[in-house]
This record gives sequence, C-alpha cells and structure tokens, in this order.
Amino acid sequence: MSLIKLNPQTLKKLRRFREIKRGYYSFLILVGFLLLSLAGEMLINNRALVVSYEGDLYFPTYSAFHPGTDFGLDYPYETNYRDLKQHFEETGSDNWVLMPLIPYSPFENDASSGIFRPEAPNAERQHYLGTDTTSRDILARLFYGTRIALIFSIGFMAAVYLIGVAVGCAMGYLGGMFDILSQRLIEIWSNIPFLYMVIIVFSVIPDGFTIFARILILLSVMVLFSWTSMTYYMRTETYKEKSRDYVAAARVLGASNTRIVFRHILPNVLSTLVTFMPFTIVSAISAITALDFLGFGLPPPTPSLGELLKQGTQTLRTAPWIVMSAFGTLVVLLTLVTFVGEAIRESFDPKKFTLYK
Amino acid sequence: MMTAQHLKYALLALAALLTACGGGSEQTDTAMDSGLDNTQEVQDYYAAHPDLFTFATPADIPADLVWDDGMDQPEIGSPDAKKGGTYYHTIEDYPPTLRFTGPDSNFSSRSWISGYYRMTYAIPHPNTQAYIPGIAERWAIDAPNKRVFIKINPNARWTDDEPITSDDQLFAFFFYLSEYIQAPFSNNHFSNEYTNITRYDDLTFSITMTTAKPDMAEYALFLSPVPQHFYKELGPDYPERYQWRYEPHAGAYSIDDKNLDMGVRVVLERKKDWWAKDNKYWRYLFNTDRINLTVIRDAAKRWEAFRRGDIDMMRISTAEMWYDNLPDSDPDVAGGYIDKVTFYNGGPRSNWGLWMNSSRHLLDNVDVRLGIQYAMNWDLVIRNYFRGDMERLRTQNDGYPEFTNTDIEPRPFDIVKAQEYFAKAGFTRRGPDGILVNDQGERLAFTLTTHYDRFADVFTILKEEAIKAGLEIRIEILDGAAGFRKVQERQHDIYFVSFSPSLSMYPDYWQYFHSDNAYDDAFLEDGSVNPDRKVKTQTNNIQEVADYELDQWIEEYDDSEDKERMIELSHMIQQRAWEYASFSPGFVETYYRTAYWRWVHWPEGFNFRFTTEPFEMFAFWMEDGEKERILAARRQGQTFEPHIEVYDQFRGLQ
Repeated sequence: MSLIKLNPQTLKKLRRFREIKRGYYSFLILVGFLLLSLAGEMLINNRALVVSYEGDLYFPTYSAFHPGTDFGLDYPYETNYRDLKQHFEETGSDNWVLMPLIPYSPFENDASSGIFRPEAPNAERQHYLGTDTTSRDILARLFYGTRIALIFSIGFMAAVYLIGVAVGCAMGYLGGMFDILSQRLIEIWSNIPFLYMVIIVFSVIPDGFTIFARILILLSVMVLFSWTSMTYYMRTETYKEKSRDYVAAARVLGASNTRIVFRHILPNVLSTLVTFMPFTIVSAISAITALDFLGFGLPPPTPSLGELLKQGTQTLRTAPWIVMSAFGTLVVLLTLVTFVGEAIRESFDPKKFTLYK
Repeated sequence: MMTAQHLKYALLALAALLTACGGGSEQTDTAMDSGLDNTQEVQDYYAAHPDLFTFATPADIPADLVWDDGMDQPEIGSPDAKKGGTYYHTIEDYPPTLRFTGPDSNFSSRSWISGYYRMTYAIPHPNTQAYIPGIAERWAIDAPNKRVFIKINPNARWTDDEPITSDDQLFAFFFYLSEYIQAPFSNNHFSNEYTNITRYDDLTFSITMTTAKPDMAEYALFLSPVPQHFYKELGPDYPERYQWRYEPHAGAYSIDDKNLDMGVRVVLERKKDWWAKDNKYWRYLFNTDRINLTVIRDAAKRWEAFRRGDIDMMRISTAEMWYDNLPDSDPDVAGGYIDKVTFYNGGPRSNWGLWMNSSRHLLDNVDVRLGIQYAMNWDLVIRNYFRGDMERLRTQNDGYPEFTNTDIEPRPFDIVKAQEYFAKAGFTRRGPDGILVNDQGERLAFTLTTHYDRFADVFTILKEEAIKAGLEIRIEILDGAAGFRKVQERQHDIYFVSFSPSLSMYPDYWQYFHSDNAYDDAFLEDGSVNPDRKVKTQTNNIQEVADYELDQWIEEYDDSEDKERMIELSHMIQQRAWEYASFSPGFVETYYRTAYWRWVHWPEGFNFRFTTEPFEMFAFWMEDGEKERILAARRQGQTFEPHIEVYDQFRGLQ
C-alpha cells in the first residue's frame, strides 16, 4: 500500500481519532467483536471443543463430521455432543467432552417441552437469550447473523468503493464526453428498482448453488445497484483536485495520468472516502436486514437479524425476548458504527475549531 | 400465459381509463339509462345455434321420468335461530369489482360479496351430501340420455324481485359462452360440458351433458341462472359497464349502492321477504340482518380488531395463535366472553406435501425418491411444530369417500430404511459434512422450493432431520409468481405446495398423473419409453409421473360411467402413485378452529360435516342488544361460563 503512505498529516488525523474516545472505543469494540466472531465456532457451537474417547483426543470443531458410531453410539449421523457428554458422565467412564460456552448451533431445534415454540431466556439450559419460534437458540442465531451481516457489509463496502472510486475518478479526471455519457448511463442505471432485481435474479438462479454462492450473488446484486452514489462524490472531488496547481505542476513535470491519479489526487480525496465508509457499512447492514425481513435476503435457515426481527414482530406479545434481542443487537451495532463514523469525520475535518460569529 | 392475460387486462384497464377520461360524466349517465337492449341479439343467437337451444312444449317431457324433490333430508340449522343483528367481519382487500365473472372477478373476498349467498338449482346437503332443492322445486335425472330435467320453484325471485324463469337459464348459456364476459374458462367449460338446453315452459327445462359420469347431475343442478333482464346491456364493454353493478341472484343478501363505501366497507342487507325464507332447508340459515365487511389488510390489526369486539369471529389456524396468543387462560376466554371451538369436518383435503420432479437427475431413480420419503420427518413436524393438531396426509387425494384408498399408509421417518434405499442408488459413504456421496462424487443434495413463506419453519425442521439420513435439503423460498413459474417450467427438484382439491365426488387424476402432461410422446407404440421424449411444461403433472399402465387406468377411469369400476381404478391409481413415491405426503388439517364472541350463537353440533369455513352456511345467529349487554358485563367484571369445545362428531369419517 505504498500509495497511501502514512505522512505526518495522516498520523495527525489518526492521533485525533484516538482522542475522540467515543468513536475510538466503538471502533475497538467492533474490531474485537469481528475478530472474536471469526473464531465463533469455538464459542457458540453444538460441536464439542475436545472429546477424549478411549484415550484418543478428538477436536471436532473444524474437522469433518464424526458419526455417533465413532464414540460408541448407535447412529450413523453427526454426534450430539451434549448428549454424549451426559452419556459419559452417567456411565462414569474416563471419557470426557469439553463443550463450548454456548453449546448450541444456530440451526438445531432444542425444545425443553418437546414442542417447538419460543422459550424464555433460561441460564440453566444455557439459552441465555431464550429460543425462537422453532426453539433455536437466539444468542447463537444473533451471533452468527451479526457475523454474516458484518462480513457482508465489509465486502459490500470494499466492492462499492472499488467500482465507485474507479468510475468516479475516471469521470472526474477524464471529463468531456466520457464524463457526460457515464453520468447519463449512471442516471439510467440507478433508476432500476433494486428490490425487483433481487427478486428476479433469485428466481433464475439454478438449483445447484450453495448458500454461500447465493450470499455472493445477493452481494453482487446489491453492489451492482449501489456503486453509483459513490461516483458523484468522487467525480466532484477529482474535478476539484484536478484544477489545483499541484496537479498542473505534476503534469508539467511529465507525470503520467496513472501517477497523477494514484499518487496525487487519490491521497488528497481520501478524507472524503474514509468519512463515508462507516455510513456505507450502516446502510449495508440495514439493507441486508430489511431484505431478510421482507423474505428476499439470505435463504433460510441462514441466521440473520432481519429474520429474527420478523419473528419478533409476529410474537410481540407472546415472546418479547425475540424482538428485544434482535432489536437491541441492531441498535447497538448501528450505534457503534455510527460513532466510529462521526469520529472519523471529525478527525478528518481540516477545521479543528470553528468559531461562530 | 398468465402474464399475457395480465397484460391484456392491464391494457383493457388502461383503455377503460382513457375512454373514461375522454367521455367524462356523459358516459356514466348513459350507462345507467342507455336504452340498450340485446334481446334481439340473444334470440338471434338461440336461432343460430339450434343444436344447443331447443324450444319444446310441456308435452315433450317424457312421462316416465322419476322426479325428486330432495325433501326427505334433515333440516339444516337450529329452530332456535333468531333473525336480526349485524354480523361484523373483515376482508383483506376491497373487491376490485362487483361482477361475478370477467376480468379481476376472482378476488379474495369474492365469496363474501356473492359466492356464499348465490343459490344454485340444488345443493348437496351439508351433512349427508344428498341433493336438496335450492332454486329448483324438483328435478329428474335421465342418465341414459345424459339429461337432467329441472323445474324451477314458482316462488323463486331474484334479489330485485323479478321472477326466475327458464329463460334465465337459456340466457346463462348465452352469457357464459359469450366473448363479452372475457372469461375463457367459462367459455370453455360451457362449450365442453354441455350439448343442449331445452325449454319446456316458463319453469321447466332440461340440460344435456357430454358424458354420463356418476356425478353428471351436479353439472346441471349446481348451475345458477343468470338474470336476463339485468344483462340487457351486455356487450363488448361488459367489464366497465358492469364493474360496480351487483348482479341479482336468488340468495338472501344483496348489496345496495348506498352500502358501498369504496375502499373501506361493504354492507350486505338481508331481504326480509326472501322467497325461500320459509323453505324447509333455508329457513334457519342467513339469520343476521346485515353483514358488515370492513377492509383490514394487516393480519395483526385484524387480530386486534377481533380482540376489541369490532369483529365477531376469527378463524384461527396456527397453533401459535391458538395456544399462545389466545390461550384458554386468556381473561376473555376464561371469562366466557370469547368462545373457542374446534370443529372436525369432512370432504376433500388440501394435499400439503413435497412434490418431487422425477424427470430430474437422481430423482429419476425410484430408490432415491423412496429414500427421501423415509428421510422426511413429518411426524416430528406434526407433533412438535403443529403441536399434534394436524394429521399426517396419506395420499394426494384424501377425503373422497369411497374413492380414497384408505389402505395406503404414508411412509414414516426411518433413517435406516432411507439409507438402505440411498445405498441401493449408489450413495454409500458419507462426505466430510455428513452428506452421502456416490462413486462419481455427487452429493445427495436437492433444493426444496416453495412460495409458502409461512411454512418456512417446517422446512428448516425437515432439513435438520434429513441430514441425519445423509440427505441435504436446500431451502429456496420464492415469491408466488417466481415459484409458480419455476414449477411450470419444471426447473424444480422438490416443490412444496398443495393443490386445492376439486370439490366433486371423485378426484381428477389425468392432470396430475397422466404421461400426456409429463412428456411429449412419453411412450412408443408398444408401451416402451420413448428415448427422445421431451419434458412437457405448463401442466399440473409437476411430479413428471409417466407410467404406461397408469395411463391406461386413468384413461379408463375418465371414460368410465360405472361408479364401482371407477372406485376400483381410483384405488389402483393411488396405490401405483404410492409405489412411484414422488409425492411425500405432509400434513392435513382435518378440522377448523374458530374463536368468536359470546353473542354469536350456533346450532347444536356447531356446524355441518361438509363445510370448510365456520361461516359457510350462515347457520349462526345473533340477538339484538346482546352484544352491548355482554360488553357492559365485561366492563363491570361480570364473568360467564367459559366455552371451549371440540366438536368431533365427524372426526375420522371420510
């Protein structure tokens, strides 16, 4: 990343960002959560961390599945490690199982009464936020739902920036007919209704695609219809910088277009770009949640905030813990990102003090 | 095809809008008093189709006919029923038109606007299914000649007090065969099913059908005449001209223009001097003076309206609503203000289940299909998700007395058997994710597509359970149109859907099982599979069933006029379908549940065996002032005996 060298100016901005405590801590919390969630399988999972069976140690978390027969049980499908733990304890053998902190996957139905219905938070059964309408652990679904939303929105932001910056820069820098034509094309393009496109695209995806591929397709569709707004900012910024003396000077010195764009213009419009980033993430999280809420987002049973919110609105009276968990998570998440965004904007603002007269 | 039709309607609507804009008020005025009269056109049409329309004299009625008046059946409803009161109900959408036919007339609240009240010549008795008279006074079935004679009740009147005559039935043929009404289905139906109508006198006519199937009489008796005097202005502008004019019928309720509050409310008023009000079968039905239909689009708001007493009755289907939102311990239920009733009914059932596309790779192997059958844990869904209220569906055609093969048992969840069948199909070892893999490295994974968002939880449960048998189910929930298109183009692996059962005496097999609807030229002359056959799309055989012997049976079934043989064939067809194993029967609701306020009264036994909705026959009644009394008592904390009841007198009967 030699094009964005940490010059004293940038360092000053970063120092200032650190001084804005609210944003800085929000940033730390978010990064912390993201890192934590990457290893989420070791915290919230129905697969054991370690199984000691007949003197051998097994680590099922990230390995291939172990059928019940591997541990002396009589079924050929994936071992139920919670039952296995209980089984070992009851038989008093030397075998043991170490379960993660929350021993549930976001997919399995675990009903204490045998009926799939929402159950209130219960520390004893380790459902700390209760269960949803089909008795799945809400904490597990929230955790993985948030992880998907965060990774999704970061991917979304990266893609939108890549396209938006490239096209916007080109428009601003090249100008002329290219600029005018691209602008018109973008105007037309941005008028295609996004929601219909999602519905249409999803109806023609062939069967064989995995859930991961579907998520990627959803991401591409969203990016395809979201990059346009970025170009407006980039175009104006580039226009502005292009007419500055230092660009003229660089040109006189014989710098190539590529060099001028990447070495001179881009670093100078960076502050505009960076300040928009957190807000792009906020809008991506909101969009994916809204799509899931409407039923056009990630395919079930993928855990998602929108799906939980939808369940919550339908069970407002009978199971308020669902909507509280989902809504609370969304509020916290969006607030944190917004705090980061405000702090970045403030630290990148050249005017540190504003005097009103 | 659907889109083309929509486009047509859209263009028509646009055209209507444009002409309306151009014509202004002038045109509305002429519509009411246009002086149009198509009587001559209708007469000319009759004359031009002498085969269809015959004019005879009473002397031409065969003397040896056996006339039936259906008066030997039990009465319907309760002698305690009182007339009066207003019944409040909600509809989801305001009716786009008051027409009964033509564009946009098949809307969701249509039953409430006219369907429930329109009378036919006869109806099946709601408990015994024997024919009982409606508009007809008596009828005679002449099976050898495929004819049914009908004598109209001399008292029968339209809701606008004009008498109903044979001419209205002749006109009905003109009407339903006419292109003016823009209803291709009706056009087809009337030209395919009927060959003649003969008028003998003002009240007597006969109708001749194309075939003499066991239920032939229904084709005539279940018709409704069409008021000729009302359709004098029938012409190419029918959809616009009759958009907001309420067609007179023979029933008890009518809509007056002043009772239409566009977009908000429709109020139906009972005809106090209804011609059938003293008739043995009808006198205890249609009791309330008014039916007030308010538009409430949102389900949650409908529920709140009910809880406030703004609506008198709610049908409740989900277990969650029944047990959690309105538990028996709810103050309104425990206090006796709201009654909760479960009623077990009879009749053809909706066939919720998984429809596998047997033309797809892997699914064309019967062992794979059998494995899937055993890998679907419907019992768990029924027991734990539906809380044991639903029952397991047995076949694709449950609920047809005699015609349903009750020896067929649906396959249970059994992972040992499932794995055996999968192994037979070459899926012997499990991959790293626990899903079975065959020697070519193919995973045993299929997509389950549906447009039933509300059953999403059911699929996630099935999916989790199927993994135990080494089968992966990918869930895909599309919106209605996209899902429908996917099925119609046979792009699905497995689809979850139910086809509304045909309400006739016996099920229809041809459209679901015949190879004509699966492939073009499915078989060669000698009955062997045609190697070049192509999948046929846009039909209802979404399982792509193609079985040469089954075809023969279905054809014989369709041609047969012998009920016993049809029953025998029906059982054979269902047995073969079971062996083919491409339909995994899901769940069936053999009851309906309803909650209603205490001021709604019901006959003994609550309702009738062959009803699908609590309000269908309007056997309930209300008493003036009782609602206010009960609400006042509720405010003062005075409670009543709670009424939570299960009526299972018809449970288990076919």
